[in-house]
Amino acid sequence: MSPLSETGILGPAGVLLTAPLIGFAFGWFLERGGLGDARKLAGQFYFTDLTVFKVLFSALLTAMLGAFWLDRFGLLDLELVYLPETFVLPQAAGGVLFGAGFLVGGLCPGTSCVAAAAGRIDGLGIIGGMLLGVAGFNAAFDWIAPFYDSTALGAVTFTDMAGISRGAGVALVTAIALAGFAVASRLERQRP
Amino acid sequence: MIPVHRALATLAATLALAAALVDARPAIDAATLAAEIEQDRDHISAPELAERIMRRDPDLRLFDLRSREDYEAFHIPSASHATLDELARTTFPRQASIVLYSEGSAHAAQAWVLLRLRGVRKVYFLREGVYEWIARVREPRLAVDATPGERAEFERAVALSRFFGGMARTSVPRSEVPDGYWTGTASRDVPSRAAQAIANVRRRGC
Amino acid sequence: MISDARGRKPAARYTDPYLAGIGIGLVLLAAYVLVGRGLGASGAFASVVATGTAAVQGTARAAAAPATAPYLQQGLSSLLGDWLVLELAGVVAGGFLSAWMAGRTRRGIVHGPRIDGRQRLYAAVSGGVLMGFGAKLARGCTSGQALTGGALLSTGSWIFIAACFATGYALAPAARRLWR
Repeated sequence: MSPLSETGILGPAGVLLTAPLIGFAFGWFLERGGLGDARKLAGQFYFTDLTVFKVLFSALLTAMLGAFWLDRFGLLDLELVYLPETFVLPQAAGGVLFGAGFLVGGLCPGTSCVAAAAGRIDGLGIIGGMLLGVAGFNAAFDWIAPFYDSTALGAVTFTDMAGISRGAGVALVTAIALAGFAVASRLERQRP
Repeated sequence: MIPVHRALATLAATLALAAALVDARPAIDAATLAAEIEQDRDHISAPELAERIMRRDPDLRLFDLRSREDYEAFHIPSASHATLDELARTTFPRQASIVLYSEGSAHAAQAWVLLRLRGVRKVYFLREGVYEWIARVREPRLAVDATPGERAEFERAVALSRFFGGMARTSVPRSEVPDGYWTGTASRDVPSRAAQAIANVRRRGC
Repeated sequence: MISDARGRKPAARYTDPYLAGIGIGLVLLAAYVLVGRGLGASGAFASVVATGTAAVQGTARAAAAPATAPYLQQGLSSLLGDWLVLELAGVVAGGFLSAWMAGRTRRGIVHGPRIDGRQRLYAAVSGGVLMGFGAKLARGCTSGQALTGGALLSTGSWIFIAACFATGYALAPAARRLWR
């Protein structure tokens, strides 16, 4: 029954039309949650403001549980939803670089657009920096390509790799997230 | 806000726990597969396949596992060529019905196990491969001393064979319609009979 | 609400982060259901750079280079047909409208107490460069990999989440001056 784009209900034009609508809602909620403020985001790393963790993981949990149950009831075919491919080393290295940049910049690509939309010049700075970073990557691509393409595992879930069921993986992630939320409230209670 | 948070957390925990319990499905292991094989739930007959092709069943995905040359020379209409390797790496939509065939049944049966292990739900193979298609759909034969049961099967096959541009033959010697011809279990010597059948098909032309 | 001397209402409080998160989660779920994919952001930046490169170097050359080719399948007009670019345009619109309705629009530079605006801008650009490079390597960012891929239990996405946050926490003491 869904994804609608794969069962013929939504054609190419319809698919493109969903993009700005989905983006609008995404940007709306990001701003509502305060993720357009770099100080708030950076506070994550100093345990003063755990908004990023709360927003990210409650979003992840919602989508993950929702997708699991829609699939279970035959309303969504997860086999037809695009699963990003895994490249172990490049994604680990990319994560390291990205984490450093996130700390220094205080905004990620999505939230930098939200910040810029609200008039924050630092958001524009991030955007500019990102364009440079991407251009630099492209320029260096010939040297990076072997590393970039290395350790490819295809589109796999960690549940497949660990030999556990999808439901077990969902329960595990939920447990981690809820534990994280409990820790976050405790940390925030300690700092008035 | 705290009561709301508590309620949401409880909801999430409940849904997650239910997910883990509900997904503790019987692993697709050797015992499950053995049972399916025992109960003949692993294969599909050529006439049944023919009917699905005629109906243009949108969920049907038919794969030919023989060599590319064999495939080019003759294949069941609407079949795509695939190697075991390629099949292992393809993802199929939940409602897809995968049907596999090879020359006899060796490769198709192996591919069946592979796909079932990967969690594909509806996968079947032709027990006698391409030979079964030719014998029971494209060029069905009626023995001189046919039983009423065989005659009934033959009539059904005639309609199919006409659709696929084949030719039915009546009054053939009993030796050409051995035991098990109509139930897809005459599996002795299938590869050479398959090769012969294909050669006959190709020789005819217009 | 009481307006200040210039007639502006004070900015509204932020929504509860858990509720905002659930909202985003539902948006992501809608994306899975409607178009069989998730959210993203860094990919749009890559498209923009590829298009810019094509405009400067010529489309033929850029479309042949492996780094930019995937984004130029329809030549210079690929941007308009790029789902992520359109999505990010939506993000800008949604972010703006939310900020505007909450009285949070303001031209300025957000920075930590110990540095000034100019230093903040240098830091922002540097951070952006690192993220641009890192997101290309990782095939995504917090929206595409961490959130979308994480919810789908992708191995690489979880590797990215772990690496990203571990690094942030590890380097935080060194970057203290920027924020505290």
